[in-house]
Amino acid sequence: MIIGLQIIALLFAFTMVYFAVLNYKRGELSSAEVASWVIMWIATIIIVVFPELLQDFAKTFSVARVFDLMVIGGFVVVITLVGSAYIRTKRLEKKLEDLVRRDALKNKHK
Amino acid sequence: MKIFVVIPLFNEKKHIASVIKNVSKYKLPIVVVDDGSTDGSGLKIIALRDKELRNKNVTVLTHRINLGKGAAMKTGADYAFSRGADAVIFMDSDGQHEASDLLKFIDALKDDRYDVILGSRNLNYGVPLVRFLGNKFASVLMVLLFKVYVSDVICGFRAITKDGYKKVKWDSDGYGVETEMVARIGKNKTKFSEIPVQTIYHDVVKGVTLLDAFEVLGNVVKWKLTLK
Repeated sequence: MIIGLQIIALLFAFTMVYFAVLNYKRGELSSAEVASWVIMWIATIIIVVFPELLQDFAKTFSVARVFDLMVIGGFVVVITLVGSAYIRTKRLEKKLEDLVRRDALKNKHK
Repeated sequence: MKIFVVIPLFNEKKHIASVIKNVSKYKLPIVVVDDGSTDGSGLKIIALRDKELRNKNVTVLTHRINLGKGAAMKTGADYAFSRGADAVIFMDSDGQHEASDLLKFIDALKDDRYDVILGSRNLNYGVPLVRFLGNKFASVLMVLLFKVYVSDVICGFRAITKDGYKKVKWDSDGYGVETEMVARIGKNKTKFSEIPVQTIYHDVVKGVTLLDAFEVLGNVVKWKLTLK
């Protein structure tokens, strides 16, 4: 069962590395951004293949299995990313609204 | 007293011409804010104004993209007040509101006792059941959270003075604008009055959806916590 999950996690991680590189080639990610994403996914791949590396770390937080630790860590990362994406979207919405409204006031059809 | 009529417009090609013609009879400056219509409604108004009405009092402002009703109302109000308006009357572009009710708003504004005049529809006749229940729920919620009773929280036919605009200027882009105004009225103890208005429902599938209503509901809680 764990092997099956590991295979799925590896496939997912490699797919995400592929998308990070693809977005970099399209110019949508900077070299620093693509490097951070690739490092993060490579770290994930290493932990998926060698979960015992985090065994002691998991025990420190009273988490029984490394898998559980990874799920908790995943939630923390996802919540952080969603939160920051929400703030950025709100900021962009506000800027866009100001721009469109100013444009409308400037170019009236009288 | 200089009063402008502000009409936010989004894809109302079918009704907008008759709305403008009816409002034009009252000789008030009209500001139509085309909120990124894709059906040519804005162009229709410009053509109507230039060829048929020959009315120099109709100004069309265009949002290049659709921002929502609240943003369109804010653009219209900003324009009107920057042009010396003492008050603005907001009216929907879908022909729901009777232009003859403008006189009631003008009288109420000239009374000079209120900063905001809210239109109130007779919700017992011709209003779809879901909207009737939603509206009554909103009224109760406003009493509980903001200690203000408004019989028709979401009616778009309303008027606001220049001072009133400073007090209740909203942040909502979309359909939450009417509810936010009421929340701010309650929070700032703004002087307001309600007047009865007529309503004709042309299209029940347009306008506020159940999803919009849930979004507004979430915002009501947010306003309770954040409005100062």
